[in-house]
Amino acid sequence: MSASQSAVRSRAEAVQVSRTFDWMILFTLFTAVLGGYHIHYMLTGGDWDFWTDWKDRRLWVTVAPIVSITFPAAVQACLWWRYRLPVGATLSVIALMVGEWINRYLNFWGWTYFPVNFVFPSNLLPGAIVLDVILMLGNSMTLTAVVGGLAYGLLFYPGNWPIIAPLHVPVEYNGMMMTLADLQGYHYVRTGTPEYIRMVEKGTLRTFGKDVAPVSAFFSGFVSIIIYFLWHFFGRWFSKTDFIADDAS
Amino acid sequence: MAATTESVKADAAEAPLLNKRNLTLGVLLYLVFYSFIRWYEGVYGWSAGLDSFAPEFETYWMNMLYIEIVAEVVLFAGINGYIWKTRDRKVMSITPREELRRHFTHWTWLVCYGWAIYWGASYFTEQDGTWHQTIVRDTDFTPSHIIEFYLSYPIYIITGTASFMYAKTRLPTYQEGLHLMYLVVVIGPFMILPNVGLNEWGHTFWFMEELFVAPLHYGFVFFGWAALGILGVLNTEVMAIAKLLKKDLA
Repeated sequence: MSASQSAVRSRAEAVQVSRTFDWMILFTLFTAVLGGYHIHYMLTGGDWDFWTDWKDRRLWVTVAPIVSITFPAAVQACLWWRYRLPVGATLSVIALMVGEWINRYLNFWGWTYFPVNFVFPSNLLPGAIVLDVILMLGNSMTLTAVVGGLAYGLLFYPGNWPIIAPLHVPVEYNGMMMTLADLQGYHYVRTGTPEYIRMVEKGTLRTFGKDVAPVSAFFSGFVSIIIYFLWHFFGRWFSKTDFIADDAS
Repeated sequence: MAATTESVKADAAEAPLLNKRNLTLGVLLYLVFYSFIRWYEGVYGWSAGLDSFAPEFETYWMNMLYIEIVAEVVLFAGINGYIWKTRDRKVMSITPREELRRHFTHWTWLVCYGWAIYWGASYFTEQDGTWHQTIVRDTDFTPSHIIEFYLSYPIYIITGTASFMYAKTRLPTYQEGLHLMYLVVVIGPFMILPNVGLNEWGHTFWFMEELFVAPLHYGFVFFGWAALGILGVLNTEVMAIAKLLKKDLA
């Protein structure tokens, strides 16, 4: 191979080749992150995210940001520090939400007939956008972790509040007061529900004070800071281009 | 003049840098196949997939499992065997244009890999969630498992392995040794299969309820992270492609 030879015939072809690679890279990155993030989120925060009556509970406010800040931090670590692209968190979250919406619609509704208003995914976008904006403006991993991580936890509940508010309307059913979300849970029975209700309800989150969502959100934000740090370094590790010796060659 | 005419003829006869037909066919192949699978699930999941002791379960689901396992082993051996058998033994002496063409082919494989991981890790994995929350499992081989664990996961393992093999046998970039993150990308998903064994063993002995965030499932989470190894592959590829195009883009 000669270093003086060109791989392309003209500058125009070089530009076209570069753009074509961009699209192929974007597609692969999007779908690979989607797959990895989705399996991670489903198996660490998924049950609270599957059902609106569990979104009614405060553990969802705590758990969802902590486990979902992972992939955004890792992808940011690659896209910002190598390419100055301030879209790592937003790209990850959009990928996850695309995967979730397709699945909730075609499978939860289309295969096993749960109503979509019972199974829509949580909205993680406000926190992701803020995370990217803080990194872009601050150009500091520490600032992004501390301020962005806290904001990610704090913004999660208000970011979902407009969507779930109607489901918090109180209703009386067979002499019991409950939310509309709870009522849905009564009518659409799931195999895993009783175990989860035991896990969630034996905590004191619902009983210390009238409304503990802000406390939960702050706690979630603090833990999100730590998780951001951890996953930033995971992202750096996954971005490595190292080779290990190939004795066979 | 004659030389110019010959040169133009040679250009016209040359294969395109990106074979768009292969790229389109690759993406469509997964889409059409998995759409068929989704249709099959919709029809035979409810009508023949609820009771593993029923004869129709054997007909529509267990037979599907046997067929797919044999087909996957044959595909894995066939694709990787072919790529290895036809490997380029003078890979370091190819022209820059040929190298660029091979990077495009490599990215065609990687696009298919990303597409396959979407279907396996996202679509069919969360689909398993809705099935278990609706129908209690009665064996390790529920309709959703026969698709998720034993069909869609092997398909993205096969696609990832083929992609790795292509890079290793045809691209100068990967001749230094074994690319660490590429190995993570390929071996991580493969390790999901032993974890399926642990998962089914755990469900058999401990609980039948499907608790998605239960620690029994954390192995899947860990191996799911391996998808992030694509970042390292992406960085290596960007460096290689930039090296090929640098002076022409300046």
